[in-house]
This record gives sequence, C-alpha cells and structure tokens, in this order.
Amino acid sequence: MDFSLNTRQKELVEMVRELVNSEIKPYLVSSSASGFDWELIRQLAVHNLVCPTVPEEYGGRGLDRLTMALLMEEIAAAHPGVAAVIAATLHAVEPILLAGSNTQKEKFLPELTGKDAGLAAFALTEASGGSDLSIMRTCAVRKGQGFYLNGSKDYVINAPIASWIAVIGATSMEQKKASMRVFLLEQNSKGFSIVRQRETSGLDYAPIGEISFENVFIEEDNVIKGQKAGSGYLLLTQTFDRGRAMVGAISVGIARAALETALEFAENRVQFGTSIKNHQAVAFSLADMATRVEMARLMTYKACWLIDQGGDYCKASAMAKVVGSEIAQQVTCAAADILGARGYEKGSLIEQLVRDARVLSTIEGTNNIQRAVIASQL
Amino acid sequence: MSFKQIGRKLQLAREEKGMSQEQLARALGCSQSALSNYEKGKRRLYLSHLEKLSEILDKPLEYFMENNRPPVEKEHLLGGDRSDQFLHLINIIYQLSDEQIREVLSYIEYIKWKEKRGGQ
Repeated sequence: MDFSLNTRQKELVEMVRELVNSEIKPYLVSSSASGFDWELIRQLAVHNLVCPTVPEEYGGRGLDRLTMALLMEEIAAAHPGVAAVIAATLHAVEPILLAGSNTQKEKFLPELTGKDAGLAAFALTEASGGSDLSIMRTCAVRKGQGFYLNGSKDYVINAPIASWIAVIGATSMEQKKASMRVFLLEQNSKGFSIVRQRETSGLDYAPIGEISFENVFIEEDNVIKGQKAGSGYLLLTQTFDRGRAMVGAISVGIARAALETALEFAENRVQFGTSIKNHQAVAFSLADMATRVEMARLMTYKACWLIDQGGDYCKASAMAKVVGSEIAQQVTCAAADILGARGYEKGSLIEQLVRDARVLSTIEGTNNIQRAVIASQL
Repeated sequence: MSFKQIGRKLQLAREEKGMSQEQLARALGCSQSALSNYEKGKRRLYLSHLEKLSEILDKPLEYFMENNRPPVEKEHLLGGDRSDQFLHLINIIYQLSDEQIREVLSYIEYIKWKEKRGGQ
C-alpha cells in the first residue's frame, strides 16, 4: 500500500493552496463579502479549476477523483462556500462523463472550462423530499424529437447562476424508477424559471434556489441515454456514490481549517502563565481533532481511489461522507470551545466554519440515508 | 425498486437463460462472488454493468427496473414433482403484459379444447 502523492499532485496542491489562501480565503469572513460573487470563481477559472474533472479533449484538466479530492480539501479549507459551488458543478457533470454522448460532451463540458468557465447545477430534491424517489413529481412527456418537462425542484445549489442544469425527471408516474432520465436543461430555456433564492445559515456564498419547469421542451439530444428507458435511476445512484466522496473532501478541508485556527490560537493564548496548548485538556482536544481529520482524510482518499480504479466504491463513499461530515461538525465545535468567546463572535472564522459544517450531514443524501446504503451492503 | 429487487430479477433472467452464476460472471468479466452479491442486492449495479447484462441475458434494461409483482417462491407452490416447471412458468407469466396474458390464456383454452375434442 502506497500513501504517497506523486509530483504532479504535490505541485497542484501547492499551487492551489497558495492561490486560495491569497485570493479567496480573505473573502470568507470579510464584512464586505456576502453572497455569491463571480470574482472568486474567476480566480479559479484563470487556472482552469472550476471543473477540473472534465477531460482534456473537452478543455478540462482531466483530473482523477483522488487529485480532485486533494484540491477540494484546499478550496474548502479556504472557503467552504466556494467549494460547495465547485462540488455542485462536478456533480452535474458526472452523468455526462458516465453516459453522455459525444455530442452532449462537446456541447456541455467546454462551457465549464477555461478562464470564462460557467457553472452547472444538479436538480433532484423537490419540496416533498429528495431521498424518496417514489414521491418525485417532476415528469416529462415525450413528443416529437424531445420531451416536455413539468415540475419543480428545490434547494438546488447554483440553480440561479448555472449555465445548465442536470434535472432528474420521470416519464411515467407509475414506473418512476424505471422511467427516470437525466435532462440537460439550458438556463435560457422557455418555460424555465427561478422561483426564489433560499437563504441558509451556512454556505452563504453558494446560491441555492427553487426552480420550476412549465412545458420546457428538451430535445432528445439533451437527454442522457434519451432512447434508453431504465438508465436514469442507475445513473443517478452512481452519480451520488461518486459525489459523496467529494463531500468527504469538503469536510476534511473545513475540519482542517478549524484545527489550524484552534492550534494557532492555543499556541498564542496565554493563561495561568503558559500558552493554553500546554494545558493538557486543550492539548488532548487538539490531538483528538488532528486524529479525526486524518481519519476523515484517509477514508475520503480510499473512496476516491476505488472510484479511480473502477472498484466497488458505493460503501466506501457513503462511509467517507458520514465520517467526514460528522468529524467536520465535531472539530469545528471543538475549535470553537478552544477559542472561547472569539469562536462565537459573528464574523469570526470559526463561527463561519461551524455554520458551514452543519449542512454536511444533510447534503448529498442525509447521513441516515448513507447508513441505510451502508447497511444494505453488509 | 430496490437493488435487492433488481438483483432478484437478474437471478430470474439468468436462470431463464439457463446460465450458472459462474458462466454469467465470466461473460460479464467479474468474479462469481461479485455476481452473487449483485443478485443479493449487496453490491451496487451500475449502468454499464446492467447494459452488458441486458445484452447477455436478452432483456431490455426496463425489465430489471420495472416494479412488477414479487416473484413466486418455490415454497409457495403445491405442484409436487412439477413445482420447478410451475415456478418457471408462473415467473415468466408475471413478466407479461395484460394483453400477452390474455393470449396465453386463450392458447391454454385452445389446448384444453383440443384435448377434449381428441378424447371424444
């Protein structure tokens, strides 16, 4: 077993760490920065880092999952909101990478690459829920050379700003899973509208919204495996199984940022004649935090490695997501305890990280859903 | 439709085709234990796997995904020595459309009518 990173990976990590620390991290808790701002995405776009998993032939960097996870940790450690926006784009691209036609790849992938890269979104959750697909309402009716899409989706990251959205819908309300398809909807489509932008307690940077479709015509060319009924559900589960590992990477980044902040504070804060790091209670807490971050990191690496090797990654990915998200919440809270009142102050880094970490056990399938997935494979 | 149900349908289609787990695993390019886990629903089947399986087993992709009635198990039958035949027949009929079932019934009626006529 080899845990070492190759030279290319090390150089990329170093480059991205330097970039995000100087150009993106200062805006995480800046009082002037609130909500989405293209400027931060542009900083990544200059280096073709908006969707680096897109193959080189379509303008991307063609990164494997493990290398992407390394970069995602860096981005999340600097700015979890930016990481969420990037992860949502990676998620939207996955069905195209897995089963898209060459025409779909040529049309949708280059838009997310280069210095003018746009963003994409993935829309599954509806007002009635996200995990129970049997109650999904979004439906499509085949007519002529395409489908008419009707319904709505909610809590869609990037929805208000995405160039295109991968929408999950069914063509039969009786056989939803068997008739599920992935529809690639362009932002300017007639009948598509943004109902509202949601305000959330964390990830304030990421634009999250409710969207609706009223007789939106989608050409068959823009439906993944449009001719093949029965493909959508499997594509959906595979997309989630891959995306969960990336939530693990975001979790590691957030937890690491909290640990580094707490460590620096503990080294400089003097109480009872010595830095508080020399007090065993604080030292042990820091030791536990560091151990947990490493545990989450290794589980994320293993899931990504299995994806890259074409192995059976479903369980590993769900485990990485559960462990990572829970560790991110534990570590950010432990860091807040070490910082005392400063960790509770609005506008402080730790206060922001605590709020950002909270959502990780909910997105990409709640942790209870992950446990159900893991249990089904035991 | 859960992965357990998809796996059960995979097993039925394999048996219908007369293939052993080992033969199908070889055709799919995986180990026999991986195929066994696919059939038990303990391992995720992805689109590329199922596309290949649907080709090998001559079944459309929807066959594995449609939420049909659960298959009949052998212990539900009272067919004595012919229970294997009954099980096979019933599970084939379960996959048919209403129209096809009507055709099968009229053919059975025809066979019975022929037998009766021959006996007269």
